[in-house]
Amino acid sequence: MIASFDALETLLALGLTVVALACLFDRHLVRACCFFVAFALAMTLAWWQLGAPWLAAVELLLGAVLTGLCFFYALGRFFPGVSSPLERDSFNEPWTRAFARLLLALAWFVMVGAAIRYVITDMVYSPDEQPLLLAGVMITASALGAFALHRHVLRRLLAFNILGSGVFMLLAGVAGTSATAQALITVGLCIAWLGSMLGALLIRQLLHLEGVDALRDGNPKENAT
Amino acid sequence: MIWRFGLFESTFTPLVSTHWALSAALGLPLLLGMLAALFPPQRMWPVALASLPVLVSGWVLLSAYDQAGLLRWQWEVAGVSLSLRLSGLSVLLLLTTQWIGVAAALYTPGSLRLGEPQPLSRWLWPLMGVLLSALSLIWLASDLLTLYVALELMGLSAVGMLLLSGKVAALVAGMRYLLLALVGSLAYLLGVALILGQWGRLDLQGLAAVVEPGPVAWIAAALMGAGLALKAALFPMHGWLSPVHGSAWTPVSALHAALVIKASLFMLLQLWSILLPGTFYAPRVIAWLGMLAIVWGGLLAWRTDSLKTLVASSTVAQLGYLMVVFPLLLGPDIAPLPRALAWEGFWLQLLGHAFAKAAMFMAAGNLIFATGESTLKGLAGTSRRLPLSLLIFGVASVTLMGLPPSSGFTAKWLLLEAMLISQQWWAVAALLVGTLLTAAYVFRMFRYSFDDSAPRHHYQPLAPGMDLIALALALTAFALGLLAHFPLALMRGGGV
Repeated sequence: MIASFDALETLLALGLTVVALACLFDRHLVRACCFFVAFALAMTLAWWQLGAPWLAAVELLLGAVLTGLCFFYALGRFFPGVSSPLERDSFNEPWTRAFARLLLALAWFVMVGAAIRYVITDMVYSPDEQPLLLAGVMITASALGAFALHRHVLRRLLAFNILGSGVFMLLAGVAGTSATAQALITVGLCIAWLGSMLGALLIRQLLHLEGVDALRDGNPKENAT
Repeated sequence: MIWRFGLFESTFTPLVSTHWALSAALGLPLLLGMLAALFPPQRMWPVALASLPVLVSGWVLLSAYDQAGLLRWQWEVAGVSLSLRLSGLSVLLLLTTQWIGVAAALYTPGSLRLGEPQPLSRWLWPLMGVLLSALSLIWLASDLLTLYVALELMGLSAVGMLLLSGKVAALVAGMRYLLLALVGSLAYLLGVALILGQWGRLDLQGLAAVVEPGPVAWIAAALMGAGLALKAALFPMHGWLSPVHGSAWTPVSALHAALVIKASLFMLLQLWSILLPGTFYAPRVIAWLGMLAIVWGGLLAWRTDSLKTLVASSTVAQLGYLMVVFPLLLGPDIAPLPRALAWEGFWLQLLGHAFAKAAMFMAAGNLIFATGESTLKGLAGTSRRLPLSLLIFGVASVTLMGLPPSSGFTAKWLLLEAMLISQQWWAVAALLVGTLLTAAYVFRMFRYSFDDSAPRHHYQPLAPGMDLIALALALTAFALGLLAHFPLALMRGGGV
């Protein structure tokens, strides 16, 4: 019984990580958004698995349905048959920048992993027994790297959403799914949805005014956190 | 430090009238904003009439604090406890928010009427309402969950307001601001997660009692500090600030520079005084960055060609003054006297800057409206035709430069005294350099405006009251220096 339980969680954690990576690094935007919806559905299952049905419901409604709709609206896919200029991310980056961002993501991964492993002694879920927590660390690191790497604002918005899910997963791992933690995550999900909605409206407006090139976020100096 | 923020038990329970005043102060801006979206006000008097109850609620809270001292509220909703507290500092910041908010709201109808008709202008009202409610909540909240909600509401409504002008530059800058603000709030959330996991509680008062220095407190403080510094545009994370202000509407810029940025700084200081009461290095890092901010912001403002960039870059430099004070507020073995002086100087500088910067943005907005140009060169000849707008700009700059008897002077005097007692010579040097740079960029702007060689023919007349509101704000900043005993008494009132 316990073995099958663990297998299910491991499978879920693996699935989450793979879908997140696919969503973050697929240049085909429509496919990436489909992966995002799949990721949100997997998150719903993960919340259910962690014993937080309320969060599962919120994630399903806000994360999968509403945020997913925001992204497809931003892509201009509400009316089938209309061709949209948003197909692929064609902005290229020099490899030095990509390398720097890879280092950033790795540093983040090591830092958070070490903090969770050694600093916080009495966690609710120990990372040794909880593959979902490991997936959270992994997702956070890769999403942060992707956020810093990509120039296309839609991909950055996707990366932010995945980063958010990773952070919520870490929060649940560190603090458990008490009422307070669930309240924090619920607020975070609402904010992520509102932010994605605002971002989607902005992307449509920018496309309308300026075309695809306006979606390139240009300042190379910026770097978050 | 903890008692200064009012994180201790209260003696009295709030009266029923105080409950009402609290709900009015938190809820009314939101409701009035929604109402104004349905019926957008075209004149100034409906706005003035509608904002009266908000101002009254602030006054009632002030008198309640005068009588009873610190007040606390606590609720338990579905296993989650939420708490508010009304300390002297909260009252002061709440009143500031209400007055600047009302001034911006009064300024709005005129400025919307003057510009070309904007399709999205009615959405400004609800966003402004959400922003003011969220700000009021930040000053009062005393648990991390409420603070998170308020911070996010404030951030999202601020982004929304800055986008309303609909120009491409505004949208591009707004998109970057949105993404950075969202990621900043995730860093904050991760810090909250660590705290919740380690100590199992989120109320600030309880945390102040149980937090012990250690890696968890440091990591949480670093994460929250990074997120909040990003939102507060602290150097070197100020890059998003100037572009965002470049094409925003005037009242929006005024509210953003005066209040939104300060709210993140307030939270940063409050959380660090709980998590890092005795660290040596963290406040010093902030102070060194602050010195760079003073120089860099001053240079940016000095070299720029655009009036709005000048005002926005000056915000970066003025935030530097506040950052330089951090080692006098946080850290081991600071003598009580310099700490008290630094505390008072910090908040007085923050308040003076809030009023002066709001006035300055409005004066700059008026100049840009009237001349139709947003560059410094376009100001040529304004000294004869628009003396009042220039005068307002001048009065506001007196506060920023810290000339007597403005609030900037009193604040810097207090800070200098604290720095001299504790022998922080580099901070003194930073303060003096900052004053010189401020004078340099302000006088550069005035030099262009007194240039009479390019006579202009057409000036758009301003709506009545637009100058008067800005003048009132500038004079408030000025008078806070002469009447400093009122805010100082409220700041000290934290520990009766």
